[in-house]
Amino acid sequence: MGRDLVKLQPDLLPGTLDLLVLRTLARGPLHGYGIAQRVRELSQDVLHVGESSLYPALQRLLLDGYVTAEWGASENNRRARYYTLTAAGRKQLTAERREFERIVDAIHLVLANA
Amino acid sequence: MRILRRLRHWWRFGARSAELDEELAFHREALEQDLIARGSTPEEARATARRAMGNETQMREASRAVWLWPWVEGVWQDAKSTIRSLRRSPAFSAGVILTFALGVGVNAAMFSFLDRQMFRAPALLRDPASVNRVYLYRQRDGVESEVSGWYSRHSDLVRWTTSFSDVAAFVSRMMAVGVGQDARERPVAIVSASFFDFFNAPPTAGRYFTADEDAPPVGAPVAVLSYAMWQAQYGGRPDVIGTTLQIGAVVYTIIGVTPRGFVGLWALRPPAAYVPIATYAASEGPADWATTYTWAFGMETMVRRKPGVNSVAASADLTHALELSFRAQGSVRSDTRTADQRIAALRPRGLAGPLLLERGPERSSEAKVATWLGGVTLIVLLIACANVASLLLARGLNRRREIALRIALGVSKLRLISQLLTESLLLAVSGAVLGLVLAGWLSSLLSASFLPGAKRASVADLRTLAFTAAVTLIVGVATSLFPVLQARRLSLTEDIASGGRSGTARRSRARAALLVVQGALSLLLLVGAGLFVRSLRNVRDVRLGYDADSVLVVELAMRDVRLDSAQTVALRRRLLDVAREMPGVSHATLQFAEPFGGMTSWPILVAGIDSTRKFGIFELNAVSPDYFATMGTRVLRGRGIERGDVAGATHVMVVGAAMARVLWPGEDPLGKCVRMLVDPVPCVYVVGVAEDIHSRSLGPETRNFYYYLAAEQMRPQEGGLFVRSAGNAQQLIEPLRRRLQAEMPGASYVTLTRMAASIEGVTRPWVMGANVFTAFGVLALVLAAVGLYSVIAYNVAQRRHELAVRMALGAAAGSVVRLVASEGMRLALYGVALGGAIAVQLGRFVEPLLFKQSPYDPVVFGIVIGVLLLVALVASAIPATRGARVDPNTLLRADAG
Repeated sequence: MGRDLVKLQPDLLPGTLDLLVLRTLARGPLHGYGIAQRVRELSQDVLHVGESSLYPALQRLLLDGYVTAEWGASENNRRARYYTLTAAGRKQLTAERREFERIVDAIHLVLANA
Repeated sequence: MRILRRLRHWWRFGARSAELDEELAFHREALEQDLIARGSTPEEARATARRAMGNETQMREASRAVWLWPWVEGVWQDAKSTIRSLRRSPAFSAGVILTFALGVGVNAAMFSFLDRQMFRAPALLRDPASVNRVYLYRQRDGVESEVSGWYSRHSDLVRWTTSFSDVAAFVSRMMAVGVGQDARERPVAIVSASFFDFFNAPPTAGRYFTADEDAPPVGAPVAVLSYAMWQAQYGGRPDVIGTTLQIGAVVYTIIGVTPRGFVGLWALRPPAAYVPIATYAASEGPADWATTYTWAFGMETMVRRKPGVNSVAASADLTHALELSFRAQGSVRSDTRTADQRIAALRPRGLAGPLLLERGPERSSEAKVATWLGGVTLIVLLIACANVASLLLARGLNRRREIALRIALGVSKLRLISQLLTESLLLAVSGAVLGLVLAGWLSSLLSASFLPGAKRASVADLRTLAFTAAVTLIVGVATSLFPVLQARRLSLTEDIASGGRSGTARRSRARAALLVVQGALSLLLLVGAGLFVRSLRNVRDVRLGYDADSVLVVELAMRDVRLDSAQTVALRRRLLDVAREMPGVSHATLQFAEPFGGMTSWPILVAGIDSTRKFGIFELNAVSPDYFATMGTRVLRGRGIERGDVAGATHVMVVGAAMARVLWPGEDPLGKCVRMLVDPVPCVYVVGVAEDIHSRSLGPETRNFYYYLAAEQMRPQEGGLFVRSAGNAQQLIEPLRRRLQAEMPGASYVTLTRMAASIEGVTRPWVMGANVFTAFGVLALVLAAVGLYSVIAYNVAQRRHELAVRMALGAAAGSVVRLVASEGMRLALYGVALGGAIAVQLGRFVEPLLFKQSPYDPVVFGIVIGVLLLVALVASAIPATRGARVDPNTLLRADAG
């Protein structure tokens, strides 16, 4: 693992971590470890979700009612906690995604034209 | 919604925690397996996973923080652990709680007292911000004095002011209420009908009196009972309305009862009843009391400003009205000078001032001293806080290792700080509860000392409790500040590694600073104590010109008994004879005026002097032959009043030494003639010179002069007796009162007081100042000494290795003691220097409160500094000696192992 990892902090861009978690869960229920793995794989090992930010984020999402949690069996038959996106979470994902893209576009504009 | 979910989460706190733990365990396992799958050994995988997971405690706390109010949980846990740890060190806890109790208790008592006197608006007063008391002034010979409370003046103000929506007249008097056995002297409020309009206080029963019932010249005999009186004397019976009650000379019909809690303007001496001013004045004053400017009875005026009128405009309006009033008075009295000149010379000045007398320009010297004492109690609180902070710091230092460990284990600093705060607050609250008990006791002591006869003040009122709560919060937070700052500076590695046994001394600059401040504050209080004690001694050393201690004052309250002048003279003569024959009485005399009880002056004429008035006021007394023996006033030249000085003989007077000096400088006063303006006898001849007396203040009385006429010649219609007791004056009061009362006709009665009591009223500010400053000063000194002792003891404990090494290398015990003790002395010296500088700065503010005493008295400063340094020396020498007694062999060995 010689590549540099970007540790995702909640304040990297406001809401980025929540957005990634919600987006990852849009494909289907996952446990915490699965979410972290998925983000790492999809970002080709660039984004690394630290546990110390992942679990507080999940608690936050639970509290806000964007996800629900349920105990189930993992791939190797261990008890694991699976998170599922709710309807409210889906709506939130769309909203956050739009907002994120708006900001990224804005940043692009600045970078290209300044 | 979020709140509800949060509550639910909180409810399931335990289950949540277990779930989170399991989830994290799964996470770590999954990570480990992945690592093994990629080719790591199980051991490597475990280590890597653990590293990757980072600080699990911190993560767990962060996750929980999302679904908890962390502080709710935290505070509860902190409180529990604080109580546990406080119970482990009972001495420390008791010390801190007691210190807080003293600081908070003293302040709560003082607040309650000052609040009642100076801050709290009268109960049930409507819109207190718009209500003022009227203060009126005029100048005479360049000296401004208050204008007497005449009803006609009040009427003029009502007529000629435009700024006020309501104006009321009021005065409170001690009057005999009831008849026969039930008669008691009680405070009675004499008020205009408009008085009640100022309050939001509809009567509990019946009604208040109307303007018609309060109309001059006679008014109506109607009275309103106070709620307390109604309950106490009538058992709250509704049929009290319509019954009669004698107050003073008038039999009043009760028409109403005030609501509960209504005390008018007299919270300290709540009136028993309220009567119309016109009815009272008609019964006590001359027939033309309402229209002339001759009969003053201490009446005052209160006003409510119209909306939009500020007190400056209101004062200007009052000044203008007072000018017009003087003009009107001028047309009543004949005067040769033109009105304009006369009024300009009077410099009338009106002031719409604070309703509370003790806040206004006429506040008593007790109130001034009380204000200072308020400052003193704050200093005591500061010292208490400094001491507690110091103790907490010492405790914090001892707990460094524990705290460092907890931080290493992932406890957030925020949590740690909140725990320290909880500890302080818990201690402060315990102290405050104890303090309130103390305050209840202290405040009755304060009331009793400052306002004898006043209603007992309770500290259990909302304002005092709110104040106490605020103070508690502030001192709790303030004292925790030092340990918190200390905790933030912790160095993990060093504190854990050294195990709190660091070889080098760790001096706390914060504690040193606190000690210096404590020392300085103690010095301030002790200097204050010294100055007041010396003032009090100066006060007591004043030669009054009479012996107040053994003299009783007999006063007559005639009520409705009306005697003609011959009967009055006969009654007074009879009382004098009875008193003289009473066992235990050595001398007795008739008197007409009492020193410090209100003297009387008449204009006098002396040949060769156009106006004696320019010298000041000439006050007189009309006395019997035994007067000078009764009072113990020395006759310096000539003779006193004698038995031969009767109606038919030559009229004589004895003058005070100062009066003789000012009227006949360089001449022999004996045989001089003085004419009295009010009593046009040809000449009153001076037959003696008596020593000067104090009758208004204990300071020099440069504008007050005294002379004595023979009672048999002047035949005054008023006044009572002075009786000199051969033994204990107090014990003579009751038998003498009973004997004299037997001679009194009808409902009239006598009252007896010790003359010393009125002098005590005058010396009270200094007595209080001396007592309170001394008590608080000693308290402060003890607190500071304990603080110093604990700091030195702590330092000795910290430096025991260093000291042991020094002694192992051959240092003498004495030099070790010096080394340690010198540190304490250095702090004490800084404190003394700081306190001394502040004391000198404050000197000019405290000077007016002292009596013939410089605020920079080197003797006081010298003694106080000496005492402070001596106490500091003892407080640092004891732990230092103890430190030097350590056997280096034992200590160093124990450490090596």
